[in-house]
Amino acid sequence: MATVETTAPGTPETEEQPQLAQTARVRPMKVDPDLEFIRALRRSGGESLKKCFQCGTCSASCPLSPDLHPFPRKEMAWALWGLKDQLMTDPDVWLCHHCNDCSTNCPRTGRPGDVLAAVREQSVQHYAFPRFLARWVTRPAFIPILLAIPAVLLGLAIRFRDGIGNALGFSPPAGEEIVYSFMPSLPHWLINCFFGFFGFLALVAAVIGIVRFSRGLRGSSVWGPDPQPVKGILSSLGSVVLKILVHDRFTQCETDHSRSISHFFVLFGFLSLALVTFWIITGPVNPLIGSDFIYPFSFWSPWKLLANVGGLAVLAGCLLMIWERLYFGHLAGTSSYFDWLLVWSIFLVVVTGFATEVLHYLRMVPHRQVIYFIHLVFVFSLLIYLPYSKLSHLLYRTTAMVMAERFGREAGEGAKP
Amino acid sequence: MTESEDKIGVFICTGYGLAEALDIDALCAVATDEFKVPFCKTVDSCEGPGLDAINADISAEGLTKVVIAGISPRRYADNAFPDDVIVEMVGLREQVIWVLPPGEEDTQMAAEDYLRMYLTKVREMLPLVPFDPEVELDRTILVVGGGIAGLTAAREAAESGFQVRLVEKSDQLGGWLAKQHRSFPTRPPYRDLEETGIGELIEAVEAHSGITVHTAATTGEIVGAPGLFDVTLTSSGNGKPAGETLEQFRVGAIIQATGWKPNDPRGDLSWGDLDDVILNVDLEAMVKEEGKITRPSDGKEVKSIAFLQCGGCVGLEPPAYCSSICCMTSLKQAMYLREGDEDAKAFIFYEFMRTPGLYEEFYRKAQDDPGIFLTRGEISEVTRNGSGNFTLRARDTMLGEDIEVQVDLVVMAAGMAPNAADGEAIRTLGDARVTMVDGDSEQKKEEAAQLVEDLKHHEGTEILNLVYRQGPDLPALEYGFPDSHFICFPYESRRTGIYPTGAVREPVDGAGSIDDATGAALKAIQCIEMTSRGEALHPRAGDRSYPEFQMSRCTKCKRCTEECPFGMLNEDVEGTPLLQETRCRRCGICLGACPERIISFRDYSVHMIGSMIKAVNVPDEWDEKPRVLVLACENDAFPALDLMGEHRLKGSPWIRVVPIRCLGSMNNVWITDAMSAGYDGVILLGCKYGDDYQCHFITGSELASVRQKNAREKLEQMAMDLERIELHELAIDEFRQLPGIFEKFDELIEEIGYNPFKGM
Repeated sequence: MATVETTAPGTPETEEQPQLAQTARVRPMKVDPDLEFIRALRRSGGESLKKCFQCGTCSASCPLSPDLHPFPRKEMAWALWGLKDQLMTDPDVWLCHHCNDCSTNCPRTGRPGDVLAAVREQSVQHYAFPRFLARWVTRPAFIPILLAIPAVLLGLAIRFRDGIGNALGFSPPAGEEIVYSFMPSLPHWLINCFFGFFGFLALVAAVIGIVRFSRGLRGSSVWGPDPQPVKGILSSLGSVVLKILVHDRFTQCETDHSRSISHFFVLFGFLSLALVTFWIITGPVNPLIGSDFIYPFSFWSPWKLLANVGGLAVLAGCLLMIWERLYFGHLAGTSSYFDWLLVWSIFLVVVTGFATEVLHYLRMVPHRQVIYFIHLVFVFSLLIYLPYSKLSHLLYRTTAMVMAERFGREAGEGAKP
Repeated sequence: MTESEDKIGVFICTGYGLAEALDIDALCAVATDEFKVPFCKTVDSCEGPGLDAINADISAEGLTKVVIAGISPRRYADNAFPDDVIVEMVGLREQVIWVLPPGEEDTQMAAEDYLRMYLTKVREMLPLVPFDPEVELDRTILVVGGGIAGLTAAREAAESGFQVRLVEKSDQLGGWLAKQHRSFPTRPPYRDLEETGIGELIEAVEAHSGITVHTAATTGEIVGAPGLFDVTLTSSGNGKPAGETLEQFRVGAIIQATGWKPNDPRGDLSWGDLDDVILNVDLEAMVKEEGKITRPSDGKEVKSIAFLQCGGCVGLEPPAYCSSICCMTSLKQAMYLREGDEDAKAFIFYEFMRTPGLYEEFYRKAQDDPGIFLTRGEISEVTRNGSGNFTLRARDTMLGEDIEVQVDLVVMAAGMAPNAADGEAIRTLGDARVTMVDGDSEQKKEEAAQLVEDLKHHEGTEILNLVYRQGPDLPALEYGFPDSHFICFPYESRRTGIYPTGAVREPVDGAGSIDDATGAALKAIQCIEMTSRGEALHPRAGDRSYPEFQMSRCTKCKRCTEECPFGMLNEDVEGTPLLQETRCRRCGICLGACPERIISFRDYSVHMIGSMIKAVNVPDEWDEKPRVLVLACENDAFPALDLMGEHRLKGSPWIRVVPIRCLGSMNNVWITDAMSAGYDGVILLGCKYGDDYQCHFITGSELASVRQKNAREKLEQMAMDLERIELHELAIDEFRQLPGIFEKFDELIEEIGYNPFKGM
């Protein structure tokens, strides 16, 4: 095999390796490879990680990699040496958008992009609270229990609807007061309370995860010896959100350019659905709406239209994702169970949602009620498992991007000295 | 046969543009009028059907000696003419008409001179008489060393129908391979460890009716020459007392497959305690014998190993050569560790990772193992803690920073050192010991004492124990490997009929040894076959001439015995050369060495070349036509002159080229001859010499350069300019330099003037 490093023996390494030498600690790094970690990475899409012979082609071909301490070469080195701690505290793992320019260019047929995806999966397991839930979402064996939890909880909510209503001050529904619902036994106030409560729990878990994660990131060596913020947190967050909305990162990919399209559809579809949901929940009390709020919406109501268009956007984006992953795996990357779980969850949420709507227009009430219940189970799963599933990337990647923005770790620029 | 019985014929070719460029009738006149040749004929081609016609004429006319003036001798196959006819070819096309302007007087003079030279030569040439050893040459092959190379060579030779004697020093066959647990892969997909397969090979060799195996034996003495080697087998001490004579027999050729010994780098380390720092060969033996890996000092089961590859990775000087197996061995042994324990860790630190060719697949397999960690790096510090674990620090690693790992055991790659002795050094040592006592002067004695001090580590290293004037073993090349590939021919050594192979020849693994040993077996077979026909071996393969010594005039000056690069001559106590004809490579270096000029071949001698030189018509000073003699080595310089013609480069009309077997066969008398004959200068063209010599006979051109210095002294005595002799080292592909060399020499002659002895 070719010798990759060309440093002549005897010359000071700091001169020869400007890229990495600055991260060199005064004391040598203690290396005790975590074989279980390596095996876990290989199970979840990183089969190729040991193929790396450190040529650096991946870093050179990555459009998102900063000039200083570029990725994913160093991540590959850490991964194949089983250096879990290094990878868990590494923001670059999350700056990667898995466009696989590195994987298509690797001369050893390694797939650094997929390895980083596997590292992200491990990262979520590492930081999520509680951890066991994060482990469950990575194993097919736990599917029944993952679905049983929301189903049972929803069932219990229906069973104890009246008691809950009394306790919370919602009068038991009388005939004329029934607010329109797809499933009379599950009125909106109950759904709102139920989802609100568990949503709050998920939010707490998410916050714990993010706090742990951002603490971990501070220990990374990529910031340089004495990192100083170049931006405030809020302004960093602002520019990151803008970048996410315009898909600034995804559009720089060459290998898997279509990912920017599918993600765009899904993201904006969800945003419009979220907006409509917010509108409905807050409708009766929202001063912007006031007494004009009429529910249910007619088919041609702008809100109804927005919801339907949003749903279709998610469906289209999701189908594109599935198509890509099934038939263009070499571009889209290896899809682990972790990836598929999210894609199919979203697909099922949208499909059951539209099915409910169609059954409603067809006046097939019993069928509609069953499907609607299933729909709610999927929506609920998406919500409560957000801090653990692949959907958590919206937490972790955003956090890493905000930190990178804050400390001036920019693609093509590098940290300020 | 005397000259009167010869019938000389001359064929002058008119094709190839020769008739247009030269006056053919005048050429014929040289043959018929000047030399009174009874048969001279013009032919329009001397190849293909033209050659058949010539051969028909030769037999019809009963010609015994023939000169064909046409194309270069290099255009003819060895068997183009009947065996009993002496034929010389004059390359008028390549060396005259292609390099000189057609139709000019000087061009015609060159062509006529060449015809004169070769007519003179054939007149003096005698028919070859095959060498008669008086006894039948032996056809047995002796293989020294019973490892994979020796076993393979023995089996290959025996399968080809030759009797084989296999001698092994230890009491069992198999060598290093028999000490291995598994081999790294030798066949597709080159990913999996294999059984060594040595057991089957040993069985096959032991069962073969053509092979006699002698274990626990060494070659106590080998006397003789190819076809006539008398071997005395002595005990190596296992069972019988060491040195006791076991058996004596004769063999025809020898294959030296004495293998390698580990090169232990630990002595050069400054780590303090080296307990539990073991060599790769030790680990191999441990796995083979115990089936598991434990720490030698405390028997702890080893869960992690650091493998340290060669040189630079442990802060030592990088080794001078790659041993070719260490990287593969460490990868293999890392797999041993991992096979037994899925949580075990193997770290391999290297400066260079070399897994040549398809072995890359094996590297990939090892690399893919989650518990094998490979990095370039230099170990900067090694410490041990209370429980005996090592902490290794490494810098310049693939991880981009200095790292520290903890391991249970450290395994160092031991490279290959050849199991060979430096025959020439041992001989020098022996000579120096004699000089120390009998030296002519105190200074000589002191020098000898110093030499003894420098070389005494060679004492007792003998392996083959040849009884040769030039030492008991093969001469050594760089790094102690025996001479085994002179000018690009593997196995060929300077001791004719002795062929080193396997790891003693160059660092090589088991699979490589098998290929190598097969080649050496073929070489040994070739030696036996050609020697039995009285033919020379490489590089003058097939030459049936051999040197004859007029012993009555020998002064016992020992120059021939000293200078023969092949150790052909032994000498008795008085220094009289003792001929071992079947060792001879026919280079003629002895002929150049002998001050008494008593050595000659029937088709090549000092007198013969001298006559050729004198056969040239040297014009007198008033004609302003200088003459320059070019003595050109037949191997590179003469073909380069042909190439010069093929490329139509501009030649010099003043030069007259005489091809000689090797520039080392140049006898200084030829220079004196040329000067007396009125030549204005001499150019010597030979191969490159020095460490990267290209001389086909090792030392020929180097000896010539020494001799021409002596010749210059002679010129000085004759009060002539020293610049009249030039020596150029020329490779065959450097033919484009030739016109420049000739042009400069012409200018030189113009400057210093003509030979003052011209016309005297």
